[in-house]
Amino acid sequence: MLYGRGLRRVGSAILTVAIVVIISGSALLLGSDVAEPPVRIPSNVAWTATTIAQASSGNPLRGLIIARRCDRCHGREGFSSSPAVPNLAAMDRLVVWKQLDDFRAGKRSSPVMQPIANSLSAQDTADVAAYYWMMPIAPDPFDDRAFPQPMPDPKHEAVAVRLITAGDGSRGLPPCQACHGPIGLVTGAPSLTTQNAPYLLEQIEAFASGRRANDINLRMRSIAAQLTEEERQALSESYGAGLAPSAGPPTR
Amino acid sequence: MPNSNSKIALAAPAVEEPSAGEVKSSARKMIRVALISITLVCVWLTVRFPFQAESGLEYLLNGPNSVNPQTLHLRGEFVESNLGSTEDAGGGVTVRMIAEQYLFVPQCVVVPAGVPIRFRITSADVVHKLTISGTEDQIKAVPGYVVETRLQFARAGVYEMPCHEFCGPGHYTMRSQLIAVPPEAFRNLGREARRDCALR
Repeated sequence: MLYGRGLRRVGSAILTVAIVVIISGSALLLGSDVAEPPVRIPSNVAWTATTIAQASSGNPLRGLIIARRCDRCHGREGFSSSPAVPNLAAMDRLVVWKQLDDFRAGKRSSPVMQPIANSLSAQDTADVAAYYWMMPIAPDPFDDRAFPQPMPDPKHEAVAVRLITAGDGSRGLPPCQACHGPIGLVTGAPSLTTQNAPYLLEQIEAFASGRRANDINLRMRSIAAQLTEEERQALSESYGAGLAPSAGPPTR
Repeated sequence: MPNSNSKIALAAPAVEEPSAGEVKSSARKMIRVALISITLVCVWLTVRFPFQAESGLEYLLNGPNSVNPQTLHLRGEFVESNLGSTEDAGGGVTVRMIAEQYLFVPQCVVVPAGVPIRFRITSADVVHKLTISGTEDQIKAVPGYVVETRLQFARAGVYEMPCHEFCGPGHYTMRSQLIAVPPEAFRNLGREARRDCALR
């Protein structure tokens, strides 16, 4: 009697599983009928509460050890040794976390950074991000920041100040400082005040041409594509020289 | 089932016909199996049925116009390759846009003039409002929901579409363009050019 009941129970379980499989299979088949354009996903990172918590959970002491393999290019304290390499000192944790995740997933391409990002686990990534986040923004006088930042062209400066503080409403270009600080900070947007000019210029060009396409919802690609050659130069020089305007009300 | 009625077989000679009690219990078992399967299917539908929505429960509670503003770029109709104006299977034109701080993407859309156009807009962060200059039309973009409306542009031309709901420090530069072209010119445009005329 008991044995029989057990058999029947197994039978009913198999029946249920079969029904579920059949229904899910038919739903999948029906779904595949709809002709969809090829889906391009810019980045696997989405700023949900879970992701933000994970990216902010790093241990800077573990990061201190892991970051030693970044010294050669990004500098001991996050001030890079080459103008083509970004400074990471005081960089927002979420920014470093997202970029490393994008390198790992192949959403942002770099022959140097992709293998390094591949060797890091999610926890390592959060730890490294926490370490750079804790570095002071002013470089140590003994740090090897040997290369001079190009001084901006004076006639470029007015162009840059206007774009950074006021943007250009006629072209739908928002002011840089509304997302990159100090007026407003959008999640995942890096602070640009201590960034290297040649690196910034290269990134603006890459966004404009679509070589770099890991920005969520086309934000930087839409903006960079509209900037003229002069504006790209002016913006990168101004941010690179640390002359970007600080907080203040936007002027038109 | 040789073992199922072994106790009865000891007491009395084997009977071919099942007893009333056995019929009742097997019916009860069938009902139980049916109930279990229905429950499992319901659970599965709740969790998995709407592939486009973030979770089935959200879909059932809020209807088909609910989206997760944080994951627009990962799945659903607002992935970046599906934005802009597209021709539906029925021949109608649908424009899909995301409003975000401080852009409407795509920043430039092309539509045919004189034809009703379906707009589907959502927001990735806060409330924005798309205003179409020269007309009375305004579309509010609310995070978490898709706002759908039908608009028709009587004459061809360029329409400016600024944001009309304060959304942050970059609000006053937030604008996009809509270009209404004659329907035959629209038909001749390539997919990419239709999607985002700023790319041309």
